[in-house]
Amino acid sequence: MKVSVVGLSKRFPGVQALSDISVDFLPGEIHAICGENGAGKSTLGKVLAGLYSPEQGHVALDDKPVRFSSPREAQAAGISIVHQELLFAENLTVADNLLLGEIPNQFGWVSDRQMHETALRWLQKVGSDIDPSMEVSKLSVSKQQLVQIAGGIGRGAKVLIFDEPTSSLTATEATALLGLIRELAARGTTCLYVSHRLDEIFAIADRVTVLRDGAWVGTKPIAEVTPSSLVQMMVGRELLASSEGGGAFGAPVLEVRGLSSVGRFGDISLTVRAGEIVGLAGLVGAGRTEVCEAIFGVDRLATGSVSVAGKSLALGSPQRSIAAGVALVPEDRKRHGLVLGMTIRHNGSMAVLPRLSTLGWLNRTAESRTVREFTDRLRVKAPSIESVVGGLSGGNQQKVVLAKWLATDAAVLLIDEPTRGVDVGAKVEIHGLIREAAASGKAVLLVSSDMPELRALCDRVIVLREGVQVAELGRAASETEILSAMAGV
Amino acid sequence: MMQQVGLLAVILLLSLVLVRFSGTHVDRETGQTVSNFFNPGSLVQILTETSFFAIMAVGMTLVIVSGGIDLSIGSVYALAGVGMALTMRAAGWDSPWAALALCIGFGLLAGVLNGTMVATLGVHPFIVTLGTMWVFRGVAFVVSKAESVLVPGPVTDFAKNPLFLGKGLTPVPAIVMGLFILGGALYLNRTTMGRRVLAVGGNADAARYAGLPIPYILAGVYVIAGLGAGIAAFLGAAYFGSASSADANGYELYVIASAVVGGVSLNGGRGTVTGAFLGALLIVLIRTGIRLLRLDQNYEWIIIGAAIIIAVVLDRLGARLLEKRMVNG
Repeated sequence: MKVSVVGLSKRFPGVQALSDISVDFLPGEIHAICGENGAGKSTLGKVLAGLYSPEQGHVALDDKPVRFSSPREAQAAGISIVHQELLFAENLTVADNLLLGEIPNQFGWVSDRQMHETALRWLQKVGSDIDPSMEVSKLSVSKQQLVQIAGGIGRGAKVLIFDEPTSSLTATEATALLGLIRELAARGTTCLYVSHRLDEIFAIADRVTVLRDGAWVGTKPIAEVTPSSLVQMMVGRELLASSEGGGAFGAPVLEVRGLSSVGRFGDISLTVRAGEIVGLAGLVGAGRTEVCEAIFGVDRLATGSVSVAGKSLALGSPQRSIAAGVALVPEDRKRHGLVLGMTIRHNGSMAVLPRLSTLGWLNRTAESRTVREFTDRLRVKAPSIESVVGGLSGGNQQKVVLAKWLATDAAVLLIDEPTRGVDVGAKVEIHGLIREAAASGKAVLLVSSDMPELRALCDRVIVLREGVQVAELGRAASETEILSAMAGV
Repeated sequence: MMQQVGLLAVILLLSLVLVRFSGTHVDRETGQTVSNFFNPGSLVQILTETSFFAIMAVGMTLVIVSGGIDLSIGSVYALAGVGMALTMRAAGWDSPWAALALCIGFGLLAGVLNGTMVATLGVHPFIVTLGTMWVFRGVAFVVSKAESVLVPGPVTDFAKNPLFLGKGLTPVPAIVMGLFILGGALYLNRTTMGRRVLAVGGNADAARYAGLPIPYILAGVYVIAGLGAGIAAFLGAAYFGSASSADANGYELYVIASAVVGGVSLNGGRGTVTGAFLGALLIVLIRTGIRLLRLDQNYEWIIIGAAIIIAVVLDRLGARLLEKRMVNG
């Protein structure tokens, strides 16, 4: 089925999310939609899926104008979306979730067998062996995603919209997903692939549409663009090239000896000197995040010795760790990094409240000044520091988390996946900020699943595998060397 | 903020209705015809009645903003009142300041108990305070032997002091309420502890990762709720001249209703102290209105219940309209 958008515009408070977008999506093609965060690519997907209704313009199926007032209507017309954030009733089974809208029943009595069979058939269509009677919360993110795709395909979707589908998948899972999308397209499904991951776009897309600040920049066959010309289109400005770091470091700031936590990782020893960026690499589940959480004191069961600037740190309390000069920029910014309903000012000052107050009385002028200083330095894009962080793009949210911790002036920065779900432009900026922090004498321990990121930023890379420290590689190490140490081959 | 504008409008509207329809009577001293509603006596009376709820609603708002709930607040009121009255009688004291200190002491003690259990046991506050709701009232019942205990005269004089107003007017509870609301609002908006309460209620995980002392923050709001119940108990017992284990029975629900009508989110992280005051004022106005408009008193609960739901629904509608206008405008 051919889907088109014609002169589409959509406004949100203070933002023109889409303005006058017209694109055709052809049957059986994989059409990538890319752009920086806030460019409007997710909004476009959501309008197509009936989640938002446009102010101007319309969606057309095989050139017939249609108007969806709910996702249900879009689904009935054959358009399904696979969300960035998975929306499930997690306490229910796979089958329950798949058929939630139309539970097979007889006079109101749920027909479990029929439900199981239908779910099984749908799951098989996407080549999955998930048991429909499993509780959704027990599935990994990648399997949950498969369930979503199965739901779309099972309902007869002819158009599938993938909204940043690989942002929380491991490399293997992502590869498998891309394979599935190719297969679906080969069977005639129109696949819209919303992403800012260039390698994936080049691996999968037939054509690519670029949006910037809600406006259409161009639609081109993938053969006619190169990664750098695509970035140019997305960003509309030159990006700073990554620079090689020096090599002169100060005294050891973070020293970890024999750090262990039962069932998570064991006997980790590492040193990070002032001005140095040390990477922690490993597959998902290797214990990288857990090591950071132990140093930060969130893990109460961790044992071993950690010292900061020569002073020994008693583990098990984030407050003590913060007082000793440790900061953690957590992996899951929405769960651990931010209070989404609060403003930038509130979030930015959260870790330094005592410093901004006298006898418990908050000095709001000092608070605003401090938060503004860091959000300006980090170039957070928002109307003001009174904006609610839940409404910011991923990259800007991440910058607010960084600002919060840079404000503590910690000597040790533990940074966990700083650019996950962040667009190209913001990524380059965040890299610059991390380098800047190191250059100002901070010790940085960086966890990342992004190989180019580790290679671009780190002076050394320590590799963990199943909770054990297996290798330490220098700046000259190649991606292959790091990967083979991670996988143990 | 917008919520409070809406709530204020409803309160004003209801007041206008009362001014227009509550009828008049002849003042015995001046011989003038005055409105049954819009006269100093009735207005101060309404504020006095509001004060008992509103003071507790301040603490309740903080508790709900932190993501919890305090069902025991009415029982803390009864316990503090009875404890104060019995201690005053046993010790032979009659100073209002001693009575105030005793009420605050008992209220704080109960609050510390609630707070410690919520912060350390890992049991949902609903369950902890459901338990203490019965325990506290039970203790008050046992120690008072289910009898009403008289409060010394000077204590009552203190609470009924006309101050600068005329004879028969009693502004003290309203003034205490004003101070407590001011204090609560400043606490929530201007102090680091208040900010932390909002953060914990908004996202407890993120608050922990920001190194906030979660157990102290949680315990703190229950202590403040206890403090409020103690102060309200002092005003109530002093004003009515006695304390009994049956006092403030069911008040926890009025107090929660005040906070909710005032816009606090039961999910935590959002709410204002002034909103809770307006919520309490609205509920008292409705109760007064039923009396003044000579409606059947038996319908009071039905009307209040419906009013709570309508108030909250109207508020959601207003918020949605506002959002739309921002989108289109």
